[in-house]
Amino acid sequence: MKEFLPAAELAQLPEGRLSAVRPKGLPVLLLNKDGRVFALENRCAHMGCPLAAGALEGYTLECPCHAWRFDVRDGSFLDAPELRLKTYATKISGGTVFIEAEI
Amino acid sequence: MNRKARQEALRFLFEPVIEKLGYKFTPSQEDADFLLEQETLIEAATGIPYCPCQARSNNRAENMRMVCPCIPFHRRHYDAMRRCWCGLFVHKDVTDPDTLRQFPEKEHGTAAQTSHKRRN
Amino acid sequence: MKKITIYALSTCLWCKKTKKYFEDRNIKFETVDYDKQDEAHQEAMMAEMRAANCSGSFPFLKIGAACTQGYNPEEFDKLLKLK
Repeated sequence: MKEFLPAAELAQLPEGRLSAVRPKGLPVLLLNKDGRVFALENRCAHMGCPLAAGALEGYTLECPCHAWRFDVRDGSFLDAPELRLKTYATKISGGTVFIEAEI
Repeated sequence: MNRKARQEALRFLFEPVIEKLGYKFTPSQEDADFLLEQETLIEAATGIPYCPCQARSNNRAENMRMVCPCIPFHRRHYDAMRRCWCGLFVHKDVTDPDTLRQFPEKEHGTAAQTSHKRRN
Repeated sequence: MKKITIYALSTCLWCKKTKKYFEDRNIKFETVDYDKQDEAHQEAMMAEMRAANCSGSFPFLKIGAACTQGYNPEEFDKLLKLK
């Protein structure tokens, strides 16, 4: 069953900054960018490295461990279309960012 | 973590990645064990499980293209060989890896002409 | 007999198979493990491989005046027979 889980306060997500949160224990990466909030699994599709310490350039996120690069908009891995990061739908209500996750 | 346990951990981490790319571990258990063991030794020395059959330099971007599984960064070449360079992974339909030919990237017209710098 | 030199990595499975191929045929060869060399030697080896339009993948073989990359017995046989 899917449910919207509170993940963070929007005011605590500075523009363009990667934030690691754990709604209900899920490792989630939040990014507030260009008026949208993106939510992705905070684990690299390669070896599971946390991505919050990665480098962001435009919409490209580079894993700090082995430089695998992903598009934060859809989680796709730039060097192989078959691999991607899990993404979560988001909504903002009353200043709180919610992510939609299977629980 | 001892070496054998780390070998199994790498196998566990790599399996879902290569599966999505259309590859599997080589059916030669002896070869797979040898290659995974070498990777654990390289990882113990450098912190990163690099390909045991490719030389590293101090160019990080180049080196990152050699971290196992390196299939995404050499896709056309490996797909043409139906296995990765070191042979740890083969196409899913390969049953006898000994029948496969190893040939250089340049034969496939995809040779990476990049400058070599000293290793740190 | 042509001079044969194998550039290898000590961690490389195909480098071992390449050496065995020549050993099994009693063909003499020299071998240099790239990862056991100092930086200067490594640079020289890599420059030689790049000059042959090869990447940094091993094994790399010099057979007479020719060179090849990878474990490829058919290619080894061909280069051994070349005049």
